[in-house]
Amino acid sequence: MNGAQHILEAFHRHSINTVFGYPGGCIMPLYDALVDDVGVEHVLCRHEQACALAADGYARASGKLGVCIATSGPGATNLITGVANAHRDSIPMLVITGQVPAGLIGTDAFQETDVLGMSLGIVKHSYLIDNADEIPAILEEAIELAQSGRPGPVWIDIPKDILLTDVKADTPPSPGHQTPGAVDISEAMDMLRSARKPLLYSGGGVSLAHAEDAFREFARTSGLPAVATLKGLGNAGKHNPTDMGMLGMHGSRAANRAVDECDLLLVIGARLDDRATGRLDGFAPNARMIHVDADAAEINKLRPADIALRGDLNSILAAFTAELADAPLDISNWQTQCRTWHTTSGFHAADNEEPLSPITGPAFIRQLSGIAPDDTVIACDVGQHQMWVAQYYRFDSPRHHLTSGGLGTMGFGLPAAIGAQFTDRSATVINVTGDGSFMMNAQELATIRRYNLPIKLIVLDNQCLGMVRQQQELFYDNRESQINLDDNPDFVAMARAFDIPALRIERTDQIRRGIETILAYNGPMLLHVAIAREENVWPIVKPGASNRDMIDEPRRTTAKKEQVA
Amino acid sequence: MKPQSPSSMPSYTLNCRMAHEAAALERLCQVVRIRGFRIARMSMESVDGELDIALTLEGARPIGMLQSQLEKLHTVAEVVLDGGVLQSRSA
Ligand SMILES: Cc1ncc(C[n+]2csc(CCOP(=O)(O)OP(=O)(O)O)c2C)c(N)n1
Ligand SMILES: [Mg+2]
Repeated sequence: MNGAQHILEAFHRHSINTVFGYPGGCIMPLYDALVDDVGVEHVLCRHEQACALAADGYARASGKLGVCIATSGPGATNLITGVANAHRDSIPMLVITGQVPAGLIGTDAFQETDVLGMSLGIVKHSYLIDNADEIPAILEEAIELAQSGRPGPVWIDIPKDILLTDVKADTPPSPGHQTPGAVDISEAMDMLRSARKPLLYSGGGVSLAHAEDAFREFARTSGLPAVATLKGLGNAGKHNPTDMGMLGMHGSRAANRAVDECDLLLVIGARLDDRATGRLDGFAPNARMIHVDADAAEINKLRPADIALRGDLNSILAAFTAELADAPLDISNWQTQCRTWHTTSGFHAADNEEPLSPITGPAFIRQLSGIAPDDTVIACDVGQHQMWVAQYYRFDSPRHHLTSGGLGTMGFGLPAAIGAQFTDRSATVINVTGDGSFMMNAQELATIRRYNLPIKLIVLDNQCLGMVRQQQELFYDNRESQINLDDNPDFVAMARAFDIPALRIERTDQIRRGIETILAYNGPMLLHVAIAREENVWPIVKPGASNRDMIDEPRRTTAKKEQVA
Repeated sequence: MKPQSPSSMPSYTLNCRMAHEAAALERLCQVVRIRGFRIARMSMESVDGELDIALTLEGARPIGMLQSQLEKLHTVAEVVLDGGVLQSRSA
């Protein structure tokens, strides 16, 4: 067996049956081996960035390892954004690239780039293989490493001649997961019991640790009012009465208020990102903090924890739940207070219900949330539409919400939706995108068509880079700079060019029919939603300001309420 | 991040043992730089497939944060901080 065949062998051993890739010169031995392999489905995207982002979406939706493959030089550089995206959100990913033959490395050979050097800041680990006999051991290690502890992308760069060399070494036994030792929660329990206004603050770490069930059980048993980061949305489940949704820059006033007033913050799998905390010295000023995380480097990184519990979230949460099952917390006043805040200043209603009025993002997303089945996967892009999804869509699980949190990668949504659809061909998968983001990976409409994926595409078209326009309006004296997209192509015609049916809506009374039509259609379909250019995401915390100083929507002008002719 | 003038910053000595793999040193230096430190002195020796690296670093951020980031590197076996904060060098 040569090096390339050994890679496929490792895929089989680890039940990796879907990979996303794009061929080229130096990776050709692997593509040649694929010809004879029926156990691995190779998905050909139309750009390597989309291969990496699709692998990312696949991993987020399934909790399994995402795999992407590319050739050397431009193939590898095109992967970079997608790998960085996975790195920032700790997504388990295996990246395999071909490299120029070992003897040509360092000679500026055709399509040579220093992939190992480029990868350093955006991977959990990376390898350049210089001996075919290392292939089995490195693959075992890489696959394990990508998924263990705090997950992340691991990149293996393999020279073409090594892919073709006969491998003599045997596959070593898998290094196996290191299970972290038991954690003593008694001190944390005492602190929790002594708090009068404790608040649960959770992030993406919950699903990364596969601890969704344990978290939900804990949230329900404890009755703790709960806020979530962008990546923690859905942690508490759709029907949890104490869930207050997203905090932070575009979080609700209710959630930020609860953080501001709580006396104990129980942080689970979150890293206190600036978009969530706002200015750190004004964040949860009255609270002690218990920080539970898998990654020791996150503890005390931005704010010292009064108690730190590092370890496996599943077992720590189960231990908490067991303690509370017999002796519940006595926090009913605080629960009532939080529920009142949530009712009066949470995200509930978009106020624009005039049937003939232009569609607003919040009104659209609220209806989408009401109509789409509970297990729908929403893959977002980046911008205002992403925030409206976070604010107004009620997720039942964090795996239903695929969003580029750490890197904020425009163009993420469409390939991520493709990846998610490959985890379950019958799932309802929707890409909610903006007119700017959509154009960043629009070539992947061809992938949707090729594999006949029933993905629904919703383009919220405000004819501009709305999120940038909003910040220019609010923080740069309304001096608009390079945000205009009023010469967008006709998105309906564009979808049809890829043989994907499409329709356009623009009035509030068309929302329901539009959503029902695309959901009922048995195949991919695009809904082009024209929305007002001037709509903003509210409330907002100015970058660098304290969450306490969040700005609410000023009174609407009549111009925005004008009806569509 | 733009480092402050070296004279005003605390200085630390850190010893690191890591596997002698391709790009091992670059990886270490990359983390040191991005986490806000600069290398004032560095010595390195290769022993039985491992690198013993001694670093003198300057930086305004807590050194413990760098230590925990370095410990996360897959190829790093050990990071030892020598004697805590050294005297700041005068200009
Ligand atoms: C690749 C990339 N380039 C630039 C940005 C900066 N950026 C953030 S949001 C945004 C506007 C997105 O526009 P659109 O997709 O139309 O969404 P909208 O805000 O209008 O809903 C831009 C340019 C980014 N996040 N990603
Ligand atoms: Mg837009």
